[in-house]
Amino acid sequence: MDVDFALTAFLTGWLAATVRLAGPLLLAALGELFAERAGVLNIGIEGVMLLGALVAWWAAWSTGSLWLGMLGGMAAGLTAGGFLGFMYVTAQASQVVVGVIFNIFALGLASYAYRLILGGASGAQTAVMFSVLPIPLLSEIPFLGPILFRHTPLVYLTALVAAGAWFVLRRTSFGLNLRAVGENPRAADTAGLDVTAYRYAGVLISCVAAGAAGAYLVLAQVGQFRETVVSGQGFIALAIVIFGRWDPLRAAIAALIFGAADALQLTLQIFTSGVPPQLLLALPYLVTILAMSGLIGKADQPESLMVPYSRE
Amino acid sequence: MTPFLSARGIVKRFPGVLANDHVDFDVNAGEIHALLGENGAGKSTLMQIVYGLYGRDAGEILIEGRPLDLRSTRDAIAAGIGMIHQEFMLVRRFSATENVVLGLKAGGALKPLDLEGPAREIAELSRRYGLQVDPAARIEHLPVGTQQRVEILKLLYRKAKLLILDEPTAVLTPGEAEALLKVLRTLADQGHAVVIVTHKLHEIMAAADRVTIMRDGRVVGSVKTAESSEAELARLMVGREVALTARRSTRPAGPSVLRVEGLTVMSDQGRSALEGLSLDLREGEILGLAGVDGNGQSELAQALTGLRTASGGRVLLGERDLTRASPAERRSAGVAYVPADRRHVGSVGALSIAENAILGDQRAYARFGLLDRKRGRSFAAGLMERFDIRPRKPDYPAGKLSGGNLQKVQLGRAIASDPRALIVEQPTRGLDVGAIEAVWAELLRLREAGKAILLISAELEEILNLSDRIAVIYEGRIMGELPAAQADLRRIGLMMAGSHGEEDGHADL
Repeated sequence: MDVDFALTAFLTGWLAATVRLAGPLLLAALGELFAERAGVLNIGIEGVMLLGALVAWWAAWSTGSLWLGMLGGMAAGLTAGGFLGFMYVTAQASQVVVGVIFNIFALGLASYAYRLILGGASGAQTAVMFSVLPIPLLSEIPFLGPILFRHTPLVYLTALVAAGAWFVLRRTSFGLNLRAVGENPRAADTAGLDVTAYRYAGVLISCVAAGAAGAYLVLAQVGQFRETVVSGQGFIALAIVIFGRWDPLRAAIAALIFGAADALQLTLQIFTSGVPPQLLLALPYLVTILAMSGLIGKADQPESLMVPYSRE
Repeated sequence: MTPFLSARGIVKRFPGVLANDHVDFDVNAGEIHALLGENGAGKSTLMQIVYGLYGRDAGEILIEGRPLDLRSTRDAIAAGIGMIHQEFMLVRRFSATENVVLGLKAGGALKPLDLEGPAREIAELSRRYGLQVDPAARIEHLPVGTQQRVEILKLLYRKAKLLILDEPTAVLTPGEAEALLKVLRTLADQGHAVVIVTHKLHEIMAAADRVTIMRDGRVVGSVKTAESSEAELARLMVGREVALTARRSTRPAGPSVLRVEGLTVMSDQGRSALEGLSLDLREGEILGLAGVDGNGQSELAQALTGLRTASGGRVLLGERDLTRASPAERRSAGVAYVPADRRHVGSVGALSIAENAILGDQRAYARFGLLDRKRGRSFAAGLMERFDIRPRKPDYPAGKLSGGNLQKVQLGRAIASDPRALIVEQPTRGLDVGAIEAVWAELLRLREAGKAILLISAELEEILNLSDRIAVIYEGRIMGELPAAQADLRRIGLMMAGSHGEEDGHADL
């Protein structure tokens, strides 16, 4: 009986943490999916998440409104998206180089801005965090309730975003056009579509989502800004897109698996076991390297991913 | 009768070239009109102008007698003009229906997309014009001929009255081409105007009602096919009498030189490109490899020359196994290669003719690691003399040569190495008649000199004219092999479409 109870407690704790931790990963991956479906590999989402996290924290902390914090994170993403879109689409720079350099730049900028803000502020940092909003009735379901329905509003919103992303990509003409642009931009162009506009749209969506994911990390998981708040989760989102084979619903499953790995490490720290947590902490990144190596998912990749388009 | 479309006095200048010089062109509803001319004659330019892709420097376009304000393809489409490019503008992973509706304004961008209505309409159009297409099929699963039908449906769905097809049969098997021409006839009978841009004379005679012939940017004639002949069209197109039939001596082939045994190769996409292909290339013969483009021909050439690794099978030159040999080893063993893409694979555009001529053999032209440019130049000068390469300047950049001259550089370089076996891939693609004559003559001369030649070509006429033996490739396999004397078009056509060419009575392809 005791063993049973411990096991249930462990499983509930682990799976609930899985859902919680998968949220920002999925949010960033869903956005990235739109960029990649349009033919742009936006590696810069790691940096965008960090800037989103910073601005979200600052906005929430100075206004006292968590939702304004979220909006701030998204606005930071939109701004970064304008710049990245220009580099990827208009300047046709190498998407990998621009993305990687942008991440380094974002880290520098965020650290500097954070010090600047803190320097002018007095008093200790107070945590800014959403509280858990249990869904009436559903959260009372044994076992499943605490796992699925006892979370911050951001978790529920992310689930809605995933369903919405699937609908937009698969069932609307915007989605059809965006996918055409990522597969065969020349065909899209001759069909009268504005390839540049759709690629900008993809990049902007991915950056706004990354900004929101950064805000999510601060406002629902940490409560404060730290330079290490993102630490590679943007890259994991890139891997999730590949494992999800460029589909929102499969990406959600992939995000849950990555979330589970992360949560396992946290839960094991509580329950103490023989496995060193650092090893588990490193695991998702190892899987990410594998995903990014191009060994997986080639067959489903949009055909013109990373190929700039110009009319001759 | 007022023509559906008339172009009057069209002038188009490109830097240094007058591509269209006061061109007049008419096409009537209900007719198939061929636009004939060599490469660079200006026929594509004219069609791009009519379709709104290029602006024009002078002249006007009339639709049913009324001037058309044509600024973009959108205006052209609105006026009922549709164009099918040589390279299909389809999204491979989309269904036929999705491709047809792509880009059409259908309510709000975020409203649920209705694909069932269009699918029904497409099925209806298919029935009406005899264009068999499953609206739900993904493009990547459709044969090329069917993909082309999707392109035609795209135009019909957009209510095009005039359909322009640029070299529509270039990628088709003879059977598919026949079926296409039948569809075009149905379209014309139902009141559409059809323009085919082509250089294939027999096709024009078979399918078109009228031909307009262009040369050097000008219209040199417009005739009814019923009142003309292939010979007259050829003369108008080239500007002189031509006799494009190669004369071959009959001479028995010698012993085997290059043997391919069960070769298996993967394509860039990781699909199987060659599946256990075997060939035997003999001394003093041309083996013609016929087939529709993209059935493994390029992969075969690359596997033979060492540019692609074979995953199975063997390549033997005489007794020597070259399967794992590097390109350099194969060259020095006596396998020479004339690639299809002269501009990007066969030459380096920024280097001079002389530098390109010694490319690959540059070590022979170097002393203590320094290039002896003088020797290179004199070698190139000899080559240019012998093959009549113009301009006769060894320091001229290769990228600025015309296709025909560049091809002669490639061919000359390959021959100069005195190979035992020569792999020639699409040797006359995009060349004008004069250059084709020169290349053919050179290949036949090499055959007389006892070389073993593998001629890979998608042009059946070329294969039939030059080969001693003909093999047909389909999806990476040899469908059959026959001596040129017994070759007939129908059998080869069947094999190109994937049958073994044995069944008779399949007249309706």
